[in-house]
Parts: sequence; structure tokens; C-alpha cells
Amino acid sequence: MNSIAIFAEIVRITLRQLLGRRRTLLLVLLSALPVVLALAFRLGGETEIERFTRRIFDTITMTILLPLVAILFGSGAFGAEIDDGTVVYLLAKPIPRWLVIAAKASGAIAMSIVLTGTSTLLAGFIDLAPAGADGIHAVLAQFLAVVVGSACYVALFLALSLFTRRALVIGIGYMLVWEGALSFILTGIANLSIRQYSLGASKAIYTLPLQEARLTAETAFVLSGVLVVASLAIATWKLMRFELPGGSD
Amino acid sequence: MTDPITTQSAAQVPATATAPNGAVVPAIELRRVARWYGNVVAVNDVSFALGAGVTGLLGPNGAGKTTLLHMLAGFLAPSAGEVLILGRGPHRDPSVYRQIGLVPEREAVYPFLTGLDYVKFNARLQGLRNPEAAARAAIARVGLDDAMDRAIGTYSKGMRQRVKVAGSLVHDPQVLLLDEPFNGMDPRQRIAMMDLLVELAAAGRTILFSSHILEEVEQVGTEILVLVAGRLAASGDFRAIRALMTDRPHNITIHSSDDRRLATTLMADPAIFAVELTATGLSVQTAHLTAFRRLIAGASRTAGVRLFEVIPADESLESVFDYLVRR
Repeated sequence: MNSIAIFAEIVRITLRQLLGRRRTLLLVLLSALPVVLALAFRLGGETEIERFTRRIFDTITMTILLPLVAILFGSGAFGAEIDDGTVVYLLAKPIPRWLVIAAKASGAIAMSIVLTGTSTLLAGFIDLAPAGADGIHAVLAQFLAVVVGSACYVALFLALSLFTRRALVIGIGYMLVWEGALSFILTGIANLSIRQYSLGASKAIYTLPLQEARLTAETAFVLSGVLVVASLAIATWKLMRFELPGGSD
Repeated sequence: MTDPITTQSAAQVPATATAPNGAVVPAIELRRVARWYGNVVAVNDVSFALGAGVTGLLGPNGAGKTTLLHMLAGFLAPSAGEVLILGRGPHRDPSVYRQIGLVPEREAVYPFLTGLDYVKFNARLQGLRNPEAAARAAIARVGLDDAMDRAIGTYSKGMRQRVKVAGSLVHDPQVLLLDEPFNGMDPRQRIAMMDLLVELAAAGRTILFSSHILEEVEQVGTEILVLVAGRLAASGDFRAIRALMTDRPHNITIHSSDDRRLATTLMADPAIFAVELTATGLSVQTAHLTAFRRLIAGASRTAGVRLFEVIPADESLESVFDYLVRR
């Protein structure tokens, strides 16, 4: 059996772990919110790119849905296994640690993209398809932002979950305080904000009417690439040094 | 703490196995291994070597058994000394897991997988050519055929232990490390698991299992390693260890027609350490069982007392262990 088959096996178990949690059902419901709102807007006749982008994509998808889903999946890809000890069954195997990290991250990123990406595409096409080519490009740009954001959030908080059991709490704090408040006040934070990387990357397809998207597409791709690679490298380093507690006896 | 008691043991006899590269090395070897957490010493200056066979790692809670097993499994680095599995350090070397099967103490197993899926998962991650066949064979060995299609979340504690063991031996490892493997098993399952371990040992595997239940160790392996407060208190054949401990008092319970009078007579003999009158009879401690047998006959005649029962208590592993812990 080659590395691809082992990679697929770990992705599969990661997906089953993430799907099996009750919180995933809540996230599915949350991801339906932009779609429901898009339908309401469409029925109310409000299907203009700028209004949709501000009210649904920016306010709900980028500010709440994407960070929440990706942070939960990223911090949960290993977190529960380390807490309950099942990670031993994965690690007591002759598998390079980078492969374990790559598979875990891929599973969590895929889950995040499926949830937030589907929501973004559906909501976008419901409201912006009538806007013609610009509308379609706007939706694809939003989808790209969600893909980049998923990769960044998952990689960062997966790595963090190997260092602390509070990765989820730290992630929600980051989402609310750093990106939700400080990044609006301090423009210099753009280089240290996953939200900014996501919005910047979307400019490769279409420049969404959002004044706070401060990075160019090139800068956003470079920074997000560095973040993902560095996070996964640090996670691999940490997993190679993973130790079980001595136990009570 | 005095030096560990050793008999014809792992510590003295070159215990070897053949490594994957063909070299003849001890399957498990510890050289002056210590592990501490801050100021707390969990394992202290432990050395031994094991070859094929079943060895029981015995000790009370807190003795350092799990710490030792985690070091052997590569999940803890020793603070000092050297841990070797088939001649290689297991820490930070995932390839060593081709030769190790590990059954951790913690009960959790992926609850959403069926028993068969869990063992197949292990087989696939071991890179086996036919995971399905290997998984079914391993499940058959632990007697879980009937339940293999049920989710592990519905398993009893004993069944979860068995499926963990199946997952650990699916790749036929040379070394099997089991932390409290009999936990939660009913007597029938326990006997079947003990038979399996003995069978694997007979096939040349090296099996080290921890337990704080002495009868488990007594029934599976005659070789024991006794950890007390992080140190190796004894290693080797447990019966030989017991025989070596001549300074240990033997407890004997006597029922007679007049326990008080017999006690007075026995007290006068230097072979007797202590005499105690209890509600159930006369409790006597002596260092020399053979001498006591001669003594008791004469003493009863001298005292004019009829003996009803003379019961040597505590010749089990439990008593050996108790003695070592207190030593």
C-alpha cells in the first residue's frame, strides 16, 4: 500500500470524526443561513452585487460562517483524538508524520470548503446570476475567498491544537477580537489577518466592492501560502515530538 | 531501596530476538532508564532485556508501569538511559511500529467504526497487502467474529479491550506491548486472552503486559518485572523470586483446642517471629517453614493441645508482591 492509500484512509477517518459530532449539524444549519437570506433578498428584488456582497457575503459568510466552521474543523481535526487518547491508534503506525498532518488538514479543509463553499455558491448564484458575467465573477471570487480562508484557518488552528487544548477558544477570540474588531481599526493588521488574505485572494477573479479588502491578490496568495505551509510544518514538527502522559501508574 | 532481586531472568540471561535486518538483539532492552517530570521521578535507573516469551510488568498504581510502556512504545523519551526495541530507539522513529503492537490502557476506540472496520483501519495504516483478510484473522484470534460488524460504541469494556488487541496484532508484530489488557474482561474472555498471549509467545513473539492484578500475571507468565516506586524491585521467574526471599516471614494460621496455651509454648521458640491471638484462631509468623513443621508437632504435645488445622497462608504471587512493595 502506498502513501496515497494511507493518506485516503486518514482523510476518511477524519471526515467521519468531524461529521459525527453534533456541532457539525449546527454548522450545517448555520451554513444554510446565507442561502435563506439570499432567497429572501431575491424575492424582495434586492439582487445587486454590492448590496449582496456587503450584507450576506461580508457580514455573514466572511465574518461568522467561514471562521467559525474552519476554526472548529481545524482545531477538531486532532483535538478530540488527543483528548480521548485515540490518536495513539494513528501514531503507533509506520507512517511519516507529515503525511498524517497533510491528511488531517486535507480532510478538515475539504469539510470547511464543502460547507462554506456550497453555501457561498448557492447564495451567490441565487442573487447574482441575474447580474450577468459580473455577477458570476463576483460569486466565483467569493468562492475563492472561502477556499483560501478555509485552508488558512484550518492549517493555523490545527497546528495550534497540537500545542494547547484551548485552540478553539483562542480561535474564537481571534475571530471576534482580532478580525472582528481590531482589523477594522488598525489598517496595519491586514498582513496578519486571514480574513484579509481571503478577500485579497478573491481579487484574482473579481474586485468585490469591499473597501476593507486591503491586500493585492499576489500579496494575499503569498501570505496565505506562507501561513499554510508554516503552520503545517510546525504541526509536523510538533507531532514528531508527540508524547503520551505517563499515566497514573 | 535495595538492589532488585533477580533470578534466572531477563536481566541476567541474554534474551534475544531476530531483528528485521537479521541481527540477533534483545527484543526489548532498557539500559539504566529514568524518566522524571520536574521533581517527580516516575521511573528510576531501570535495566532489563527481554526475548521471546510473556513477561508480566507488575506494580501498584503509581509504580511507573504506564510510563515505562510509553517509553517502550516510543511515546515518551527517557530522561536518562537508553530504550531499545529490536536494537533501535523507538522514540521519533515511526518505522519501528512495523515491529510493535501497542494496546494502550485508555479505553477509547473510535466508537463510530465497527470492530472489523477498526482492525482494517489498523491493517491499512500498517500497509498490509490484504487488510480485509488480515483484519478478519486478527478478529478471529480474539474471538470477536460475532460482533465484528457492530459499532465499537456498542461494545462492552471487555469487547473493546479485545478489539484493541486485534488491532495491535493485525500486522503480526515481533513485540507486543499491552497496558492492563485484561481490564474489563470477564473470566472466560480473560482465559481466552491469556491463552492467546501464551500462544503468541510460543510462536516467538515478545510480549510485555502490565497489570496490578497478580493472578493475571501468575496465570500468563512466570517471568515478571516488579516495579515499585519507579524502580525495578525484582525480575525473573516469580516462583524463584519467592524462594529467594528467605527473610520474608511466612504467615500460618492455627486452629487448636487451646490457642492461648499453644501461643505461650510457641513464643519460647526463636524460630517464631510473632504470635497473635485472633477471633478466628492463632496467627503465627516464622522465617523457616520446614523448621516450623517440626516445631509445631512437639509444641502441641508439650502444651497438651490438640491441633485441628495448620494453614500456611499467603503463598501466592499476591504475597510476593505485598512483600516487595513494603520492602
